[in-house]
Amino acid sequence: MRLTAQAGRVKRGRDRLAAVAALTGPAYLWLALTVFLPLSAMFYFSFLSDVPFGKRVAELTLENYAAFFQESFYRTLMLRSFRLGAEVTFYCFLFGFPCAYVLAKTIKGRWREALFLLIILPFWSNALVRVFSWTMVLRGNGVLETFVNWLVPGVGSLNLMFTYPAIVLGLVHSYIPYMILTCYLSLEAIDDSLIEAARSLGARRHAVLWRLVLPLSFPGILAGAILIFVPVVGSFMEPRILGGRAGTFIGTIIEDQFTAVFNWPLGAALSFLMLGFVLLILLFVAPLARRAA
Amino acid sequence: MTRRPRGLVRIGRLYMAGVLLFLYVPIFVMAAMSFNASRLYRLPIDWSVTWYVALAGNEKLIDAALNSVWVALVTTVLATVLGTAAALAFFRYSFPGKRVMQLLLFPPIAIPWLIIGTAMLVFFFWIGVGRGLHAIVLGHVALALPYVVVVVSARLRSFDPNLEDAARSLGATPWQATRRVTLPSIAPGLVAAGLFAFAVSFDQFVISYFLSAPGVTTLPVEIYTAIRKGFTPEINAASTIVIAVSMTLLMVVARFYRFGGER
Amino acid sequence: MVGLTHLRRAALGFGLLAAATLGVVLGPNQARAVEIRVLNWQGYGTDEPWALEAFKKQTGIDVVHDYFNSEQEMLTKLRTNPGAYDVVLINSSYTAQAADEGLIQPIDTSDMKNVGDLSPSMRNSENLVIGGKTYGVAWLWGVTSFAVNTDKIKPLPDSIQALWDPKHAGRVGWRDDAVEAVQMAAIATGQNINDPKDLDAIREKLRALKPQIRTFWSSEDEWNQFFSAGEFDMATYWSGSASRSKTHFGLPVAFVIPKEGAIGWLDGLSIAAGAPHPDAAKKFIDYMIDPAFYVPWDTNVGAPASANAKANAQLPADAFNRAVLGDPATVARLQFMGPLSDSLREKMLQIWQETKTYMLQ
Repeated sequence: MRLTAQAGRVKRGRDRLAAVAALTGPAYLWLALTVFLPLSAMFYFSFLSDVPFGKRVAELTLENYAAFFQESFYRTLMLRSFRLGAEVTFYCFLFGFPCAYVLAKTIKGRWREALFLLIILPFWSNALVRVFSWTMVLRGNGVLETFVNWLVPGVGSLNLMFTYPAIVLGLVHSYIPYMILTCYLSLEAIDDSLIEAARSLGARRHAVLWRLVLPLSFPGILAGAILIFVPVVGSFMEPRILGGRAGTFIGTIIEDQFTAVFNWPLGAALSFLMLGFVLLILLFVAPLARRAA
Repeated sequence: MTRRPRGLVRIGRLYMAGVLLFLYVPIFVMAAMSFNASRLYRLPIDWSVTWYVALAGNEKLIDAALNSVWVALVTTVLATVLGTAAALAFFRYSFPGKRVMQLLLFPPIAIPWLIIGTAMLVFFFWIGVGRGLHAIVLGHVALALPYVVVVVSARLRSFDPNLEDAARSLGATPWQATRRVTLPSIAPGLVAAGLFAFAVSFDQFVISYFLSAPGVTTLPVEIYTAIRKGFTPEINAASTIVIAVSMTLLMVVARFYRFGGER
Repeated sequence: MVGLTHLRRAALGFGLLAAATLGVVLGPNQARAVEIRVLNWQGYGTDEPWALEAFKKQTGIDVVHDYFNSEQEMLTKLRTNPGAYDVVLINSSYTAQAADEGLIQPIDTSDMKNVGDLSPSMRNSENLVIGGKTYGVAWLWGVTSFAVNTDKIKPLPDSIQALWDPKHAGRVGWRDDAVEAVQMAAIATGQNINDPKDLDAIREKLRALKPQIRTFWSSEDEWNQFFSAGEFDMATYWSGSASRSKTHFGLPVAFVIPKEGAIGWLDGLSIAAGAPHPDAAKKFIDYMIDPAFYVPWDTNVGAPASANAKANAQLPADAFNRAVLGDPATVARLQFMGPLSDSLREKMLQIWQETKTYMLQ
């Protein structure tokens, strides 16, 4: 398309902005009303000493944020939560990507749709009930132990419940469909003929994978990673139910500020600190994404 | 079609079956336990339909389930439309503030829903929106939007913009080009986004918990309160029914619409 | 593509249809009877179906429930829903705070026929009667201590230090609640649970639990699950729940009130400020403390002890609430929970969170 006249350029610029406003306007207005404004209120609270309800007196203070740096256990838990996020994301990728590849490349027709649906279906069951079902599987005298002892008598107690691996298992189970689906969407759009062409030029299988498939499907992998990493860092349900003693994370601490005490300012401060760290990490990853695209 | 050694394909399929099995372990356990008369889920299973019978009389759970479905449907439609529009804008145009706007999508996913829920509760109370199903829909759409945008964007990145330009150069208006070229091509992304939005809404309990009015709740809220006090196995029965119904629904949808992107 | 448009239309159509149906079904409320709203824990007496039916028959009043999962949530709901609730269950250690914030109103109990039968120490508890006015009607009380598996642990321990006994390492369950944990440690270190002076000693005592605890629990149902699955042999627990686990679920549970004492708690029923139907609310509260409700409730379902001494006395002689909690010597060992300042609560939470983090390593 060649731009010919200056007037034409200006008009297109105005049209362009109008188009952008029309397309993004509704979504962002909605978000503004329901998320940004309320969160701004919360952000403001995080700088107060108390919530300004009724008779309470609130003063501006930095002590909520300072608390994070003063008490070492907040740091320990924040690191622990980020580690959990990274591990869960990694396992979701490790086990989910091959699954997406198989679905996108080797399965055709009705089967592909059927499997696609089957992967989404667990999403529609209640997450709490799912995690609860995992406790029935993993606990002492649970389904897994009974099964293993039936297969190989005398194995005894497996002691899987209330451990960090149990939490990882539960989270991977909950979040892997995100990775499978986003990778599938990217992989499915890769033209098969590209792969054929590479092969016919003599590329070995793992070279094709490494240099062609992975880079091309990177948007999907990244999308999946974000959808998994970010919520897992703040999760508290799976850690509480599956982790027992091992189930203390920054997410559970934040929850406590709202359910065990009325310390919303501290809870808000910890949440925004967490958000800040997440954004920092994403800022590091963004250049990678741009290079791959 | 690329030819592959049959052995590798077979391994691939077995692996896929393995992953699916893993995904469905809790579903099977939940379904099996819904037929277990033992209140403490003791093995071996004491087969019985007593919980389904109890469920039939549990009006509260049934009302809550219907509320959940209605809210989720409305949320899905709204979130998919709004989110796709935004994703298209990001894909097509560059404009000042684009990066910031993209970053702004993260808070709903990053900040624990607990914080957002409390913030919404306080804010809605303050501006007079109050609580109830309408407030819940407001909240759910906001939570589902980032997912829709991320998923549709991922799909758009694999879409060739020249196709749109070609359509334009043949005389199509932007809307026509979108409707007839872009949207069909990214259809799998749209469906996936819609399914995500439905799942996010249907399963969402924190926001619903804060924003539901006394007497009117959604299914996850009922389940959560039931679990905290005493997990009545009727919940297992209800969840099994939900899965069975969803499965049937999805199969019906698949019958009439191909979105596997078959080539 | 055709399919996509059809799908969209179908979804929209279905959604609208569902909305319309729901609108008709949930439409304008036809009920003309008085309806009161009760805010309580789920499954804690006020929502027993048979009781609500009997109450409706007696008075024609309908009862609708809203639930909370923690005391802070209860307070948040009261703060952000003025005029939405009639009856609220408030633990006596929170009643003063709720009254101070103007969330509940004083109750004139002179026309409530069962109030006279409440044991005086509870009816007039300084946590419920503030400034000479009754802000909460004493309803149920119980003990927080620990329970043991009688099949695995013999003889029955008589000291709270049993929870720290290396003999039971890795076999102990503990409630994930900061206030309860700190108060248990306060009893174990001989301090006042409402005003512990030596927080460092409490911190040390809680840290010493590291080798003991197998898991935390946070609901009665979880407790029953873990216990019956053999995850722990002894665990902190509540008296009413212990009696329920024994009679209702048939588990080999014995509740222990050790010689050092235990935590006592008292739940009261209050009327929210701005309640739409305060008179109907009073009638409901009166019914809740009536033996006609309490006795069948405890006998058939299991409940904490009633603050109504007459109701307690009507229980079967071997009922836990009558036999154990009716014994004055036992009651004398109890320290009852009182109000705690926000800052003390936050300190307790911090100690507990620190302890849990310590237990991770």
